[in-house]
Amino acid sequence: MFGIRLFFIGLIATAIAGGGFYVFKLQKDNAILKANAIKMESAISEQKELIENQKKDFQAILTANNEMNELVNNLKKDLADLDKRFNKKNRDFGKLAIEKTKAIERIMNKGGDNAARCIEIASGSPLTEKEINATKKSEINPECPSIANPNYVPY
Amino acid sequence: MYHTKDKTYRLAWIIAVPLMLCLLLSGCAGVKTLEIFKKEVPREKLNLEKPTPLQMEEIYWHIITSENAEEVFKKLEESGIDPVLWGLTDKDFELLAKNFARIRNQLKITNDLLDKYKEYYEPEKKKDVKDGE
Repeated sequence: MFGIRLFFIGLIATAIAGGGFYVFKLQKDNAILKANAIKMESAISEQKELIENQKKDFQAILTANNEMNELVNNLKKDLADLDKRFNKKNRDFGKLAIEKTKAIERIMNKGGDNAARCIEIASGSPLTEKEINATKKSEINPECPSIANPNYVPY
Repeated sequence: MYHTKDKTYRLAWIIAVPLMLCLLLSGCAGVKTLEIFKKEVPREKLNLEKPTPLQMEEIYWHIITSENAEEVFKKLEESGIDPVLWGLTDKDFELLAKNFARIRNQLKITNDLLDKYKEYYEPEKKKDVKDGE
């Protein structure tokens, strides 16, 4: 009879202790879960930031691509204009040089100076105030207006 | 009496076994702390100096025709310049001008491409933010 009573006392004590431990464990788990939730929230916010940055990067790539395409097209146009200048309306540059030697020599040398300046600009030389502010045909560098005169709009 | 004792033992086991099992299982299936590893080391900037822009020499083009050839050579001699000229036909001059224009275009594209890469991978703005931090 005493054995049974002892067993029951042990059983109840074990149950109480077990219950106590279980509650402690639940509290501990709860704290961990709370910490996890905070970490998850922070991870989500970081992910959002990452996505935002990726969007910005895509936009920057798109802009850079468009700018490069625009530059290539403008340079192609400059080259086509140079071709036109030599052969405009079936113009024979050689014949013109025989007829108006001095005038053509002057034009050629001016053109050569302009072309040399274009190479300087293409290699990274900064634009002068005069080049930046040029808006008229008489003010621009006709060899490469797309890179030498950013404010010039062909008319 | 025996009958009651047996019943009590059985009841005790019925309560004790599931209770111990519960404690055992819940002890194993604990909630683990979430570990997030994050280590970002920014790459060092290349920071190469941009090449110095070219400074072109001025050259003078002479146009020589059958009519002015003598005059041109005479002027050269008078100016103390050797009376010798390298010649191009009008067509070759045109081609030379176009070739130079192509080289110029390529130079501009390459230079701008370099600027775009630098702007994308090493933006000044981010550097300022970091400095501010």
